Amino acid sequence: MVTSLDRLIAAANGKIIDHIPVFCNLLDQGARELGISIEAYFADGEQVAEAQLRMLEKFGHDNVWSLFYVGKEAELFGCKKIRYADDGPPNVEDYIIQSYDDIKKLNVPDDISSHPKFAETAKCLAILKREVGGKVPICAYLTASMSLPALLMSMEKWMELLMMGPTDMRDLLLEKCSDFFRKEIDAYRKAGADVLVYADPYGSTDIIPMKLFKELSLKWMKRDLEQGGSNGVVYYGGGARLNGVLEQVIREMDIQVYYPSPLEDIGEIMRTINGRALCAGVINDIRLLDWAPDEVRAEVRRIVQDGLREGNKFFFGTVLMPYGIPDANIKAMVDAAKEFGRWPDSGR
Amino acid sequence: MLDDVIKAYNEAVLDTDRAGALQVVSDAVIRGVSPEDIVFKVVIPGLDLMVKAISEGFDTNLAQHFMTSQIAADVTEKMLVLFKAPPQILGRVIIGTAAGDLHTLGKRIVIGCLKAQMIDVTDLGVNVPAEKFVNEAVARDAQVIGVSAMMVHTARGENGAVKVRKLLKEQGLEHKIKLVVGGAPFRFDPELYKVVGADAWAENGVSAYKAIIDCIQEVKQHGH
Repeated sequence: MVTSLDRLIAAANGKIIDHIPVFCNLLDQGARELGISIEAYFADGEQVAEAQLRMLEKFGHDNVWSLFYVGKEAELFGCKKIRYADDGPPNVEDYIIQSYDDIKKLNVPDDISSHPKFAETAKCLAILKREVGGKVPICAYLTASMSLPALLMSMEKWMELLMMGPTDMRDLLLEKCSDFFRKEIDAYRKAGADVLVYADPYGSTDIIPMKLFKELSLKWMKRDLEQGGSNGVVYYGGGARLNGVLEQVIREMDIQVYYPSPLEDIGEIMRTINGRALCAGVINDIRLLDWAPDEVRAEVRRIVQDGLREGNKFFFGTVLMPYGIPDANIKAMVDAAKEFGRWPDSGR
Repeated sequence: MLDDVIKAYNEAVLDTDRAGALQVVSDAVIRGVSPEDIVFKVVIPGLDLMVKAISEGFDTNLAQHFMTSQIAADVTEKMLVLFKAPPQILGRVIIGTAAGDLHTLGKRIVIGCLKAQMIDVTDLGVNVPAEKFVNEAVARDAQVIGVSAMMVHTARGENGAVKVRKLLKEQGLEHKIKLVVGGAPFRFDPELYKVVGADAWAENGVSAYKAIIDCIQEVKQHGH
């Protein structure tokens, strides 16, 4: 029987076994699945794993997630306050860097694996590994050193430091964030994650000028990944466009998977990659809140056919699906991606 | 001489070179350019140029938007104290992030640009209840409420812009106060502003002042 991991490995090698891999990034929906609040849901790694497995069964996609919410990384640094919502992702409420002095005092945890704030994630990963490890890709979300400061001091203050602040403070913070990243990716790998989403909005020229990308993003990307390597790493701009930097990242890094913005032309991205790496065709999933299943199906068809027209190193994906998307639209999306991405009549 | 100042200022802004832009302005003032001309013939047209570049599809980035706004606000603040007479205020705006939303960058970009346009801005901060938006707008005789939301649930949720609209309607204020929204979810769904009951939206923080000025003028044209 073909597994989701088989599909992903085949896609990485430019082949389709039965259909392309279909990644559906369901996070907060797990709370709805279990009928509990988002806050209660994320308090327990067993619940998160259980919901991931239930949703996998229900929708039939090809990946599970160990990500609770992005602010978890700030908690590992000491953030004490997370703001929960009834219908959306939890957010950092207490930024641990309030002044440049706090950057000097910022402590990178010695060991992430044994960190109390990693315990529930580790529990979740252990269950996912036991239940679907080696069969279904287990995803982890890691924020690049260049983007992590936004979680520690807010996007506004990070932009201010980056563009107008003292460079010694900027570099000290980036070094600490990179040290953290290296430990974090190691902890996730050891805990069983095999798809490591490297989230770097500040590695997109939608966010920063090309000059800074070359001077900083690329430099810190190399440092983040030089120790542990880029095996399983997916380059993701957090919804920002990648095309402006794609050629340089492909040339200078050994990253084999790219996850562009849903606002980019997938055909153009595939042509830029030109078979050198695996690429996702990403749906603008905020629209799934309002579309009818037929509209979802039509958009999935467009994305999958546009992607596969340029080659088979292609899979389908979502951004971080908003909580309120109806189940019927999730099902319509996954089914359509399998249908239009099937071998051999995938519309090429 | 003014043409050279405009050219040098715009180049510095596009290059996100704050120190360079401030130097251009400082040199210009020493050479006799009036503070009024700096604001009305250099800074404001500079903002218009950025908006034009964005609308024509030139690749700009968030850092450029941030620095454009920051530089415009900094220069305007420095020049205003040198004005011969206080400038005429174009309008009044209340701004903040939606209930449950803590993201401030977009709001800061909008505020900087509005200040440079001689618009009086009151920043209510983050996680602002809808009632506060409306009460403050009434108290300060504002023509526009600006609600910033970076997350889907805060952009679409019942306690954000949707509730501001509901309150404006209930209190019979819709002809006096316009509602403008912005933030990532609106960029990913250009029709979303209508769903939440806003009068207008902007794709980015720099362009927002255009939408806001249009709303201010609409309110004023109707005699309020």
